[in-house]
Amino acid sequence: MSTQSATESPAVPLWLGGTAALAMIVHLYLVFMWVSTESTMGIIQRIFYFHVPAAMTAFVACFVGGVASILYLATRNHKWDDLSVAANETVVVFEAINIAMGSIWGRRVWGIWWTWDAKLTSAFLLFFLYVAYLLVRRATPVEARATVCAVICILGMLDVPLIYMSNRIFRTQHPSPVIGGGKGSGLAPDMLFTLMFGMCAMLLVWGCVVRLRRRVAQLERAADDLVRRTNEMVDQGI
Amino acid sequence: MENLNWLFYAYGIGIGLLFVYIFQVSRREQVLRRRISGLQAIVEEHWKK
Repeated sequence: MSTQSATESPAVPLWLGGTAALAMIVHLYLVFMWVSTESTMGIIQRIFYFHVPAAMTAFVACFVGGVASILYLATRNHKWDDLSVAANETVVVFEAINIAMGSIWGRRVWGIWWTWDAKLTSAFLLFFLYVAYLLVRRATPVEARATVCAVICILGMLDVPLIYMSNRIFRTQHPSPVIGGGKGSGLAPDMLFTLMFGMCAMLLVWGCVVRLRRRVAQLERAADDLVRRTNEMVDQGI
Repeated sequence: MENLNWLFYAYGIGIGLLFVYIFQVSRREQVLRRRISGLQAIVEEHWKK
Protein backbone atom coordinates (compact mmCIF):
# COMPACT_ATOMS: atom_id res chain seq x y z
CA MET A 1 0.00 0.00 0.00
CA SER A 2 2.87 2.38 -0.72
CA THR A 3 0.61 4.44 -3.03
CA GLN A 4 -1.88 4.86 -0.22
CA SER A 5 0.71 6.13 2.26
CA ALA A 6 2.08 8.46 -0.41
CA THR A 7 -1.39 9.92 -0.99
CA GLU A 8 -2.14 10.67 2.68
CA SER A 9 -0.11 13.90 2.88
CA PRO A 10 -1.73 17.01 1.34
CA ALA A 11 -1.27 17.19 -2.44
CA VAL A 12 -0.53 20.92 -2.28
CA PRO A 13 1.48 22.16 0.73
CA LEU A 14 -0.12 25.13 2.47
CA TRP A 15 2.84 27.40 1.76
CA LEU A 16 2.65 26.68 -1.99
CA GLY A 17 -1.12 27.09 -2.22
CA GLY A 18 -0.97 30.27 -0.12
CA THR A 19 1.86 31.77 -2.17
CA ALA A 20 0.07 30.97 -5.44
CA ALA A 21 -3.22 32.51 -4.23
CA LEU A 22 -1.44 35.61 -2.91
CA ALA A 23 0.55 35.99 -6.13
CA MET A 24 -2.65 35.77 -8.19
CA ILE A 25 -4.37 38.43 -6.03
CA VAL A 26 -1.35 40.75 -6.34
CA HIS A 27 -1.31 40.11 -10.09
CA LEU A 28 -4.98 41.11 -10.40
CA TYR A 29 -4.26 44.24 -8.37
CA LEU A 30 -1.40 45.12 -10.75
CA VAL A 31 -3.60 44.54 -13.80
CA PHE A 32 -6.66 46.46 -12.65
CA MET A 33 -5.19 49.15 -10.41
CA TRP A 34 -1.51 49.69 -11.06
CA VAL A 35 -0.30 49.22 -14.64
CA SER A 36 -0.65 52.14 -17.05
CA THR A 37 -3.24 51.99 -19.83
CA GLU A 38 -1.98 51.33 -23.34
CA SER A 39 -2.54 54.39 -25.56
CA THR A 40 -3.90 52.77 -28.76
CA MET A 41 -6.18 50.00 -27.52
CA GLY A 42 -7.07 51.41 -24.15
CA ILE A 43 -8.15 49.33 -21.20
CA ILE A 44 -9.00 46.20 -23.23
CA GLN A 45 -5.24 45.67 -23.77
CA ARG A 46 -5.07 44.52 -20.13
CA ILE A 47 -6.39 41.12 -21.26
CA PHE A 48 -2.81 40.61 -22.44
CA TYR A 49 -1.57 40.19 -18.82
CA PHE A 50 -3.60 37.00 -18.37
CA HIS A 51 -3.76 35.82 -21.99
CA VAL A 52 0.03 35.63 -22.50
CA PRO A 53 0.88 34.00 -19.10
CA ALA A 54 -1.83 31.38 -19.81
CA ALA A 55 -0.19 30.59 -23.17
CA MET A 56 3.30 30.43 -21.62
CA THR A 57 2.03 28.14 -18.86
CA ALA A 58 0.44 25.86 -21.47
CA PHE A 59 3.81 25.72 -23.27
CA VAL A 60 5.64 24.81 -20.04
CA ALA A 61 2.99 22.16 -19.34
CA CYS A 62 3.50 20.73 -22.86
CA PHE A 63 7.21 20.28 -22.28
CA VAL A 64 6.84 18.87 -18.76
CA GLY A 65 4.12 16.46 -19.95
CA GLY A 66 6.09 15.45 -23.03
CA VAL A 67 9.34 14.82 -21.16
CA ALA A 68 7.43 12.88 -18.48
CA SER A 69 5.77 10.73 -21.20
CA ILE A 70 9.15 9.92 -22.74
CA LEU A 71 10.62 9.13 -19.30
CA TYR A 72 7.69 6.82 -18.63
CA LEU A 73 8.32 4.99 -21.90
CA ALA A 74 11.99 4.62 -20.98
CA THR A 75 11.61 3.58 -17.32
CA ARG A 76 7.98 2.31 -17.01
CA ASN A 77 7.89 4.06 -13.66
CA HIS A 78 4.30 5.10 -12.91
CA LYS A 79 5.34 8.37 -11.27
CA TRP A 80 6.22 9.71 -14.74
CA ASP A 81 2.88 8.62 -16.16
CA ASP A 82 1.08 10.40 -13.30
CA LEU A 83 3.06 13.58 -13.95
CA SER A 84 2.48 13.28 -17.68
CA VAL A 85 -1.30 13.03 -17.45
CA ALA A 86 -1.40 15.83 -14.88
CA ALA A 87 0.67 18.22 -17.00
CA ASN A 88 -1.05 17.33 -20.26
CA GLU A 89 -4.53 17.85 -18.85
CA THR A 90 -3.51 21.33 -17.72
CA VAL A 91 -2.43 22.16 -21.29
CA VAL A 92 -6.11 21.91 -22.29
CA VAL A 93 -7.20 24.17 -19.42
CA PHE A 94 -4.58 26.89 -19.94
CA GLU A 95 -4.93 26.78 -23.74
CA ALA A 96 -8.70 27.16 -23.34
CA ILE A 97 -8.14 30.22 -21.12
CA ASN A 98 -5.66 31.62 -23.64
CA ILE A 99 -7.97 31.10 -26.63
CA ALA A 100 -11.12 32.35 -24.85
CA MET A 101 -9.46 35.55 -23.61
CA GLY A 102 -7.74 36.16 -26.94
CA SER A 103 -11.05 35.73 -28.68
CA ILE A 104 -12.72 38.36 -26.47
CA TRP A 105 -9.84 40.74 -27.12
CA GLY A 106 -10.20 40.07 -30.89
CA ARG A 107 -13.92 40.85 -30.78
CA ARG A 108 -13.25 44.28 -29.28
CA VAL A 109 -10.13 45.21 -31.24
CA TRP A 110 -10.58 43.47 -34.62
CA GLY A 111 -14.37 43.25 -34.55
CA ILE A 112 -14.27 39.47 -35.02
CA TRP A 113 -14.16 36.56 -32.58
CA TRP A 114 -11.81 34.43 -34.63
CA THR A 115 -9.64 34.30 -37.75
CA TRP A 116 -7.68 31.38 -39.17
CA ASP A 117 -4.25 33.01 -39.17
CA ALA A 118 -1.07 31.05 -38.41
CA LYS A 119 -0.83 31.97 -34.72
CA LEU A 120 -4.45 31.28 -33.85
CA THR A 121 -4.66 28.12 -35.95
CA SER A 122 -1.51 26.60 -34.44
CA ALA A 123 -2.78 27.44 -30.92
CA PHE A 124 -6.14 25.85 -31.77
CA LEU A 125 -4.30 22.77 -33.07
CA LEU A 126 -2.41 22.48 -29.78
CA PHE A 127 -5.68 22.64 -27.85
CA PHE A 128 -7.23 19.90 -29.98
CA LEU A 129 -4.10 17.72 -29.85
CA TYR A 130 -4.37 17.63 -26.07
CA VAL A 131 -8.12 17.08 -26.12
CA ALA A 132 -7.31 14.11 -28.40
CA TYR A 133 -4.66 13.02 -25.89
CA LEU A 134 -7.25 12.88 -23.11
CA LEU A 135 -9.76 11.01 -25.28
CA VAL A 136 -7.14 8.52 -26.51
CA ARG A 137 -5.96 7.97 -22.97
CA ARG A 138 -9.45 6.94 -21.92
CA ALA A 139 -10.11 4.78 -24.97
CA THR A 140 -6.79 2.94 -25.32
CA PRO A 141 -5.95 -0.23 -23.36
CA VAL A 142 -3.38 0.34 -20.58
CA GLU A 143 -0.55 -1.52 -22.40
CA ALA A 144 -0.74 0.60 -25.57
CA ARG A 145 -1.67 3.83 -23.81
CA ALA A 146 1.83 5.07 -22.97
CA THR A 147 3.16 4.72 -26.51
CA VAL A 148 0.17 6.36 -28.22
CA CYS A 149 0.10 9.19 -25.67
CA ALA A 150 3.86 9.80 -25.98
CA VAL A 151 3.45 10.23 -29.76
CA ILE A 152 0.70 12.82 -29.24
CA CYS A 153 2.87 14.61 -26.65
CA ILE A 154 5.80 14.78 -29.06
CA LEU A 155 3.51 16.30 -31.72
CA GLY A 156 2.31 18.79 -29.10
CA MET A 157 5.87 19.74 -28.18
CA LEU A 158 6.66 20.29 -31.88
CA ASP A 159 3.65 22.60 -32.19
CA VAL A 160 4.86 24.87 -29.36
CA PRO A 161 7.80 26.46 -31.23
CA LEU A 162 5.51 26.83 -34.27
CA ILE A 163 3.00 28.81 -32.20
CA TYR A 164 5.74 30.92 -30.66
CA MET A 165 7.42 31.68 -33.99
CA SER A 166 4.32 31.94 -36.20
CA ASN A 167 3.95 35.73 -35.90
CA ARG A 168 7.66 36.10 -36.57
CA ILE A 169 7.72 33.83 -39.64
CA PHE A 170 4.31 34.51 -41.22
CA ARG A 171 2.27 37.64 -41.72
CA THR A 172 -0.48 37.24 -39.17
CA GLN A 173 -3.42 39.27 -37.99
CA HIS A 174 -2.25 38.50 -34.45
CA PRO A 175 -0.15 41.40 -33.08
CA SER A 176 3.62 41.26 -33.62
CA PRO A 177 5.73 40.00 -30.72
CA VAL A 178 6.36 42.63 -28.05
CA ILE A 179 9.27 40.81 -26.43
CA GLY A 180 12.23 39.91 -28.63
CA GLY A 181 10.36 41.13 -31.68
CA GLY A 182 13.20 43.26 -33.04
CA LYS A 183 13.14 47.00 -33.80
CA GLY A 184 10.10 48.89 -32.56
CA SER A 185 9.00 46.12 -30.22
CA GLY A 186 9.12 46.27 -26.44
CA LEU A 187 7.00 47.12 -23.43
CA ALA A 188 7.00 50.00 -20.94
CA PRO A 189 8.75 48.94 -17.69
CA ASP A 190 5.51 48.79 -15.67
CA MET A 191 3.83 46.69 -18.37
CA LEU A 192 6.80 44.34 -18.57
CA PHE A 193 6.83 43.96 -14.78
CA THR A 194 3.09 43.18 -14.71
CA LEU A 195 3.52 40.61 -17.48
CA MET A 196 6.48 38.91 -15.79
CA PHE A 197 4.73 38.91 -12.43
CA GLY A 198 1.68 37.40 -14.12
CA MET A 199 3.80 34.63 -15.62
CA CYS A 200 5.29 33.78 -12.20
CA ALA A 201 1.85 33.84 -10.54
CA MET A 202 0.36 31.64 -13.26
CA LEU A 203 3.24 29.17 -13.02
CA LEU A 204 2.74 28.96 -9.24
CA VAL A 205 -0.97 28.25 -9.74
CA TRP A 206 -0.07 25.69 -12.40
CA GLY A 207 2.34 24.01 -9.96
CA CYS A 208 -0.50 23.60 -7.45
CA VAL A 209 -2.94 22.32 -10.07
CA VAL A 210 -0.44 19.78 -11.41
CA ARG A 211 0.30 18.48 -7.91
CA LEU A 212 -3.43 18.11 -7.24
CA ARG A 213 -4.06 16.35 -10.56
CA ARG A 214 -1.05 14.08 -10.04
CA ARG A 215 -2.53 13.03 -6.71
CA VAL A 216 -5.79 12.14 -8.48
CA ALA A 217 -3.80 10.05 -10.98
CA GLN A 218 -2.15 8.17 -8.08
CA LEU A 219 -5.54 7.56 -6.48
CA GLU A 220 -7.00 6.35 -9.79
CA ARG A 221 -4.20 3.81 -10.05
CA ALA A 222 -4.69 2.70 -6.44
CA ALA A 223 -8.44 2.27 -7.05
CA ASP A 224 -7.84 0.25 -10.25
CA ASP A 225 -5.40 -1.94 -8.29
CA LEU A 226 -7.97 -2.59 -5.58
CA VAL A 227 -10.68 -3.40 -8.13
CA ARG A 228 -8.33 -5.90 -9.81
CA ARG A 229 -7.47 -7.52 -6.46
CA THR A 230 -11.14 -7.71 -5.46
CA ASN A 231 -12.03 -9.32 -8.80
CA GLU A 232 -9.18 -11.83 -8.39
CA MET A 233 -10.45 -12.74 -4.93
CA VAL A 234 -13.97 -13.22 -6.24
CA ASP A 235 -12.65 -15.38 -9.13
CA GLN A 236 -10.62 -17.54 -6.74
CA GLY A 237 -13.64 -17.87 -4.45
CA ILE A 238 -11.81 -16.46 -1.42
CA MET B 1 -16.79 51.92 -20.05
CA GLU B 2 -17.91 49.23 -22.48
CA ASN B 3 -14.31 48.05 -22.81
CA LEU B 4 -14.11 47.74 -19.02
CA ASN B 5 -17.12 45.40 -19.10
CA TRP B 6 -15.42 43.26 -21.76
CA LEU B 7 -12.26 43.21 -19.65
CA PHE B 8 -14.25 41.93 -16.68
CA TYR B 9 -15.94 39.27 -18.86
CA ALA B 10 -12.55 38.11 -20.12
CA TYR B 11 -11.01 37.87 -16.65
CA GLY B 12 -14.20 36.29 -15.32
CA ILE B 13 -13.99 33.57 -17.97
CA GLY B 14 -10.24 33.05 -17.44
CA ILE B 15 -10.36 32.82 -13.67
CA GLY B 16 -13.69 30.97 -13.80
CA LEU B 17 -12.25 28.23 -16.02
CA LEU B 18 -9.33 27.83 -13.65
CA PHE B 19 -11.60 27.58 -10.60
CA VAL B 20 -13.99 25.13 -12.28
CA TYR B 21 -11.06 22.89 -13.16
CA ILE B 22 -9.58 23.03 -9.63
CA PHE B 23 -13.02 22.33 -8.14
CA GLN B 24 -13.58 19.41 -10.50
CA VAL B 25 -10.16 17.86 -9.72
CA SER B 26 -10.74 18.27 -5.95
CA ARG B 27 -14.12 16.58 -6.28
CA ARG B 28 -12.59 13.72 -8.25
CA GLU B 29 -10.03 13.28 -5.44
CA GLN B 30 -12.79 13.06 -2.80
CA VAL B 31 -14.80 10.57 -4.87
CA LEU B 32 -11.71 8.40 -5.39
CA ARG B 33 -10.84 8.47 -1.69
CA ARG B 34 -14.37 7.30 -0.82
CA ARG B 35 -14.21 4.59 -3.49
CA ILE B 36 -10.83 3.35 -2.22
CA SER B 37 -11.98 3.14 1.40
CA GLY B 38 -15.09 1.23 0.24
CA LEU B 39 -12.99 -1.21 -1.74
CA GLN B 40 -10.55 -1.65 1.15
CA ALA B 41 -13.43 -2.47 3.45
CA ILE B 42 -14.61 -5.17 1.01
CA VAL B 43 -11.10 -6.68 0.80
CA GLU B 44 -10.66 -6.68 4.60
CA GLU B 45 -14.08 -8.25 5.12
CA HIS B 46 -13.20 -11.03 2.68
CA TRP B 47 -9.94 -11.71 4.52
CA LYS B 48 -11.72 -11.86 7.91
CA LYS B 49 -14.05 -14.54 6.55
